[in-house]
Amino acid sequence: MTGAWQAGIDMGGTFTDVVAWNGETGESRAAKVRTRTDDRIAGIRDALAAVDLAWDEIGDLMHGTTMATNAIVEGKLADVALITTEGFADTLDIGRQNRRYLYRLDLPPKIAPQVPPERRFEVAERIGPAGEVRVPLDAGSLERAVRQARDSGVRSVAVALLHAYANSQHEEAVGAALAPHLPYVALSSRVNPEAREYERMATTVLGASLMPLVAGYLDELESARPDSARLHLFHSAGGMASSEALRDLPLGLALSGPAAGVAAAGVVAAELGIDNAISLDMGGTTTDVCLIRDGRAEIDNAREIAGRPLRQPMVAVESIGAGGGSIARLDHGALTVGPDSAGAVPGPACYGNGGTDPTVTDANLLLGYLDAGRTLGGDIRLDAAAAREAIAPLAREMNVSAEQAALGLLRVATANMIRALGRVTVERGIDGRACTLIAFGGAGPMQAVPVARAFGIRRIVVPAFSSMFSALGCVSAEKSYTQQQTVRMGSAQWDTAAVAAAHDSLRARLAEPLRAAGHGAEEMHSRTVAAMRYSGQSYAVEIPDPALDDSARLGDAFRALHAKLYGFATDEPWELVALRVTVSLPRPDGRPIAPGTAHARDGGRQGECWFGPGEPVATPRFERASLPPGRRIAGPAIVEDAWSTIVLPPGAALDADDRGHLHIDPGDNS
Amino acid sequence: MSGGIDPVTLEVIRNALTAIAEEMSLVVMRAARSPLLREAGDLSSALTDSDGALIAQGRDIPMHLGVMSFTVGEFLKRVPKERLCPGDVWFLNLPEIGGNHLPDVKAIRPVFADGAIRAFAVSLAHWADIGGAVPGSYVADATDAWQEGLRIAPVRLFTADGPDRERLDLILANVRGAEEREGDILAQMAATRAAEAALQSLFGAHGVAMVEAAIAAIHNRAEAQMRDALRSLPDGVYRGEDRLDDDGAGGPPLPIRVTVTLDGDRASFDFSESGDAARGPVNTTPFIAAASVFYVVKALVGPEIQPSGGCYRPLEIRTRPGSVLAPPPDKPLVGGNHETSQRVADAVFRALEAALPEAVSAGGPTTSGLLLFGGRREDGIWTTLYETHGGGEGARVDRDGAPVIRVHMSNVMNTPAEVIEAEYPIRVERQALRRGSGGAGRFRGGDGLLREYCVRVDDMSLTSMFERRIVPPYGIQGGGDGAPFRVTIVRADGSTADLPGKANIRLGRGDRVIVESCGGGGYGLPDAAD
Repeated sequence: MTGAWQAGIDMGGTFTDVVAWNGETGESRAAKVRTRTDDRIAGIRDALAAVDLAWDEIGDLMHGTTMATNAIVEGKLADVALITTEGFADTLDIGRQNRRYLYRLDLPPKIAPQVPPERRFEVAERIGPAGEVRVPLDAGSLERAVRQARDSGVRSVAVALLHAYANSQHEEAVGAALAPHLPYVALSSRVNPEAREYERMATTVLGASLMPLVAGYLDELESARPDSARLHLFHSAGGMASSEALRDLPLGLALSGPAAGVAAAGVVAAELGIDNAISLDMGGTTTDVCLIRDGRAEIDNAREIAGRPLRQPMVAVESIGAGGGSIARLDHGALTVGPDSAGAVPGPACYGNGGTDPTVTDANLLLGYLDAGRTLGGDIRLDAAAAREAIAPLAREMNVSAEQAALGLLRVATANMIRALGRVTVERGIDGRACTLIAFGGAGPMQAVPVARAFGIRRIVVPAFSSMFSALGCVSAEKSYTQQQTVRMGSAQWDTAAVAAAHDSLRARLAEPLRAAGHGAEEMHSRTVAAMRYSGQSYAVEIPDPALDDSARLGDAFRALHAKLYGFATDEPWELVALRVTVSLPRPDGRPIAPGTAHARDGGRQGECWFGPGEPVATPRFERASLPPGRRIAGPAIVEDAWSTIVLPPGAALDADDRGHLHIDPGDNS
Repeated sequence: MSGGIDPVTLEVIRNALTAIAEEMSLVVMRAARSPLLREAGDLSSALTDSDGALIAQGRDIPMHLGVMSFTVGEFLKRVPKERLCPGDVWFLNLPEIGGNHLPDVKAIRPVFADGAIRAFAVSLAHWADIGGAVPGSYVADATDAWQEGLRIAPVRLFTADGPDRERLDLILANVRGAEEREGDILAQMAATRAAEAALQSLFGAHGVAMVEAAIAAIHNRAEAQMRDALRSLPDGVYRGEDRLDDDGAGGPPLPIRVTVTLDGDRASFDFSESGDAARGPVNTTPFIAAASVFYVVKALVGPEIQPSGGCYRPLEIRTRPGSVLAPPPDKPLVGGNHETSQRVADAVFRALEAALPEAVSAGGPTTSGLLLFGGRREDGIWTTLYETHGGGEGARVDRDGAPVIRVHMSNVMNTPAEVIEAEYPIRVERQALRRGSGGAGRFRGGDGLLREYCVRVDDMSLTSMFERRIVPPYGIQGGGDGAPFRVTIVRADGSTADLPGKANIRLGRGDRVIVESCGGGGYGLPDAAD
């Protein structure tokens, strides 16, 4: 008998969020607790205890974690050996030959290879770009490489052979030879079956170096969980995966945290029937924005984490260095905000932990948006005097009052954010002003109205559970597996059977974990995106739901999309270059609804807030939980809960709906 | 300091102007036909004030900065403002009008408000072909400017009423791939149109006077940043020299000489003693020389300096008419853009070695290491592989140089072996570090690249345009030189030949091209144990 509760637990560096939902009674609970870095399993029990649940009451536990991300950022990665094609052992040193900083001679221009020369071993073999074997795998060199890898003292080996994305047989032979000797083997044809040897090799090595850490944690989780509680982990492309699948592909966790938040924004957008939305998640040091179309986050296939290339399907989050801790400076007559940040330690001046630089959070406190009488994040007491002291020198230099300096600081932070909004929309040919802004996280709802006004957005949603939004994403997302694979086929020599074979084999591979969990094919749903281009170009467009069995129709769809995106299309030959497939189970029918409309306690409190030049405005403060459905509040007003604050300047208005979402009309600049 | 504008409005408008320039680049990348523009992003976008001084740039390409800083100012010397109308878009590529080389074509749109020009939007794009002697317009053995392609003096291709079809056709009739080029032209036009719309809404939101005050403040701020940077340099007169391998046509090494005078918050860079204009295509323009000087100052002492017309106010940059840096208009210069620009930077770095031994790096791969392979695939599709080859970085006071990297004026990526093998009739036999090629020293120069190509069809063309083959990357403070660049042709019959740095040859099936890119220079005398 499995429990009726489903729980989403998002474990960040500082806080662990939990949202639990009972599918039978419809009851929801949510909480936020400190992350237990000493004992993560105890941390999970703590989180469940915070919503009065024990693990054996849970049917499905969906877990997001920043553990893998933090290990990469902090460089806490296992040593790895590399086996590659003869003549290519230095590929990690060569990289793409470009430098990281255009104008910094003092800094090393590229990151040191993760594998030193003495742990790189070559095998004689060669496969061509169409998968043809040009030189068979040499048994002697294989034996030598396996021995060298075994003797190198590592537990993890990455295998990345040239063109293995087109034919994995040599890699699989190497993997089979390694398996009896080494616990962790990562094959590039499994981790990232795509062309471009440096990115595939670096991604495979990074994955191999995460395997011991992630496998260790997954083992702990598996042995701690009651038999009745299923376990799922949130992966970077915005769905849930099994621990068995992630044991071999730990990079799936690299963007687990942000992906869950963006996935939740997708769920909310779908529920509210919003075509195009932009998610806005403002944290302590960065603000993440992502475009959401038809209820799904846009997917990117490559990014860098801590200078290391990582090529996997991941939510296309654009991160900019503007958060609550971003520091303001007056530099040669201009007021700049970020990218340097006070971070979590010492944090903004008002946290009272020794920070003295003026930050965005200090400005929000000084202007009356944050309540100096409350504690933030459970145990941080806000020190209004420290905020004022931090901003005072800036104000003196600008020759304005402290409040005007703080307003200016926020205007600049807003200007930084709208550049990110511009990038995620213009790049994809979307008119950003017609999008809905979905604001969440601790600080997103505080800055949402000025961001919307400056960008020309007419509608904002602050969703239910907005301050535990990644945990909500965990509990409401679908179970899915996503991978992209290079499949080259030109229109002139289109071979329907060969494309179908490649497509089917990718789908079968992705369905395997679901099949292993007991799901039948009839429950599964698969989505395919085809990357296509004109022959001779290397820039592809992505065709959703491609007609792979009908090249004429596929060509039409390609030309139509090309014309839409780029304003032209021709009858030149085109080619398929890659397929990206997602195999999923449907999202659960019900969804958590924000609890707590019962405690009606209408905001009798009032404070003074500054919204513009001149005198402060008397501003009522409302408890978010006290807003009944249908309630409308006109700005100026502050709506807050224990974890976040929504600022409604004069001219803005807010409506609460019956699912706990708050709909904001930003109104005009006033 | 910021002249009648508060620091907040200044930053908000500065952000908006930068966002407009960034959006221009995205428009070109989305709408252009050339793969070079859409994928390699070989393009720049800029906004200037009504006098042509740069106020915002969309993508930071050090080489293009010089061009964008001067194009509109030089253009206005040829085409007076009275001739310009709302809705105009003018095109040009003449190197002597704020230019660099013919493939980089600039589109300029004047932006009017309240009846006067308030700004210009400029879109620079590298056209994959600009006519001339060979497809791709890369003529390694050119001896005059007209062999390099179509020379476009400022011409109005669009008015408020739309395109000027006849003039457009005149241009298209003189370049290869008319359809693709027309797409590029329309993309550049669209970028300037997007900039105009965004500027108009900025004028609407803040008022023309406020935006103009912000523009003045942007210049003043960049000037102040530059003066701060110059003040941090020790006063004095410094001389530096570096040499091109030859004059582009096989002659002796050609010197680039500079006399740097640092005086408080001002500096002058006098290149008058540099060699005469070259016979081959390694000439360049004073605008590229200025871009290189700006790069060096920014890299040495002012990474935070915002590119703007104001940066140049404290700098005096002198070139001698008739020299390799200010050649007569009949001289070829397609390669000077990426080779001689680097040599100018090297000369300035070498001059400042005495003043700032801990800030400069030893000599690095200041060449594009360019090889162009052209040929037909087995399926009949014509392909051109335009491949640059990085080398070892020069060592520094506290670290070894990095292996295989691009430095200074360029930062173009390589093409992966798997992409080359899939899309070109070429096989990559190996790619490795060229071990031991970095110069000796207390800190060693980085190692260069060893990459071996094998031709898989009966006929291909190969064009080379690289430097550091004869004059090697220099060591400093007692460090040794890096190994020079070397490209060896191994014919299918086993015979071998050394490939010159500027050459056009033909290759056949089974021929191999072995690239050994230069190592970086070392820093300091080697330790006894080294």
